Amino acid sequence: MRPRIIQENSGLALLLPTLLIMALFSIFPLIEGIRLSFTDANLLNKGARGVGLANFAKLLADPVFWSSLWHSLILTGASVILQLVLGMILALALKQELPGIRFFRSVIMASWVIPVAATAVMFTFMVEPGYGYVNIVLRLLGIKANSFWFGDLHAAFPFMVLLHLWRNVPFYGIAFLAAMQAIPHSLYEAADIDGSGPVQSFFRITVPGCRNMIIVMVTIHVLWTFNNFDMVYLTTGGGPVYATEVLPVYLYQQSWISYTIGYASSIGTVMFVLLMIYFLIYIRIYQKQQG
Amino acid sequence: MATKRQRRIVRVTLTYLICLLALFFFISPMLWVTYSSFRSTDAIFSGRVGTPAGQFTLSNYATVLSVTDFPKYFWNSLRIGVLVTVLSMALSIVGAYGLSRYPIRGRNAYIMGVFSTQMFPVVLLLIPIYTVLFSLRLFNTIAGVVLGQLMLVLPFASWMLKGYFDNLPKDIEDSARIDGCNLWQTLARVVLPMAAPGVSVAAFYAFVVSWGDYLVVSVISQSQTTATVTLALQRLGSALILRWGQVAAATVLTIVPTIILFSLVQTRLVEGLTSGAVKG
Repeated sequence: MRPRIIQENSGLALLLPTLLIMALFSIFPLIEGIRLSFTDANLLNKGARGVGLANFAKLLADPVFWSSLWHSLILTGASVILQLVLGMILALALKQELPGIRFFRSVIMASWVIPVAATAVMFTFMVEPGYGYVNIVLRLLGIKANSFWFGDLHAAFPFMVLLHLWRNVPFYGIAFLAAMQAIPHSLYEAADIDGSGPVQSFFRITVPGCRNMIIVMVTIHVLWTFNNFDMVYLTTGGGPVYATEVLPVYLYQQSWISYTIGYASSIGTVMFVLLMIYFLIYIRIYQKQQG
Repeated sequence: MATKRQRRIVRVTLTYLICLLALFFFISPMLWVTYSSFRSTDAIFSGRVGTPAGQFTLSNYATVLSVTDFPKYFWNSLRIGVLVTVLSMALSIVGAYGLSRYPIRGRNAYIMGVFSTQMFPVVLLLIPIYTVLFSLRLFNTIAGVVLGQLMLVLPFASWMLKGYFDNLPKDIEDSARIDGCNLWQTLARVVLPMAAPGVSVAAFYAFVVSWGDYLVVSVISQSQTTATVTLALQRLGSALILRWGQVAAATVLTIVPTIILFSLVQTRLVEGLTSGAVKG
């Protein structure tokens, strides 16, 4: 056997290319982005001056920032909770060994693999008044509502949640199915003999058996949804009148439309701090549960 | 107390009810857009569900493919997607193998570090990345877009593959090493054939992320030579206002490659995507 130190070095050498790219395109930009948030950097002017906490003071007084923050939190919270519940229900259906279910399993994740840009264009087409699919279906159901839903001040935000459900629920369903299939069948048989009903079995066996998967799915989707840019940007662009504005979209507009990258970076820094807090709480709970 | 038979009836009914609702909600929008892409503008604007037999048409596709620059963007997306897939697989296979098999000090810290980059707001990272690529003269180049997208793909791909490698039996590799295979020979001849299902899913993930990326491309690409289908789709959406037949055709063309690849890996997709999670 070769000495441990050589093994360790060759292990590191294998990792090096990935680490280099992540350092240059992830870690350096993060540090640089945080640094920029303390300057008045602007894409139109060369050279940036340090302005201390001025950008953050401006943020605190910016009503669009506060509503974007609020929307981001609600969108993430509502989407993830609904995805969790609906994904569980979907997985229970997918788990049944009945004719046709195999086909169902194989097609259901399609909405997750197609580009978000395609989803956005598709749904913009579908919510057109008169000839849009959503309005046609509503009409067939006898519901008298005919509106361009992304332009509706009250409907636009719930529609944004709906779009996230459309994209992600099948992924949850399939992932929970994988976790459920790993639960030994004998547990259910034993519960059956003990006379526990399906509801009890679900909460005592199925949910604990899916615990790890639930944790992973919730964690990555909180991060992905909170950071998600294109779903909102490509459908409503944050409108109407900021009704669906979220932090990533506001940041993007500040940097690539207004060119105020210093101010934009301060929004990003706030986002990062919030996600850090979430992550630390998650680690704390995780470690506590591990004992 | 419900009898076994009654319970079964309830279970079967509920299952099919959920499946029908789910198919309607998740799948019918895609079918509707595909259907619309073959309809004439008049038929679309009629607001009716049916289309008279004579009014189906291929003209939407013909226009998108010949009049607009869509084919050019499609080709760009394909090149970028293949490059991102090949490079990210080369990097993450080697990296994940190193993480999985070598006694690296602070291994868990690396895994945590790689995973925690998922927490960084990409919109924030793009501001400095823009500057970096500018000074490397990679701004508005295919290479620049590829590098930017690698940053999106690598963390999750590495995590996924590491989980997959952890689950592979190690004795065959050990005997290959004893028989005199070096690291690369072992990787190519022993590990990769065993890991092929996991790698194919990771490669699928890389391609789908690259193909679907709008954010990175929209910042790094400034001209037709680097623009991709997602940019094209968004621009067509606003340029062809209300010419929905053509927009629908472009949407279908954007979706089709991902659906084809999806059909190739779908049975393995779940296992691959969640290999890191099932073990816990």
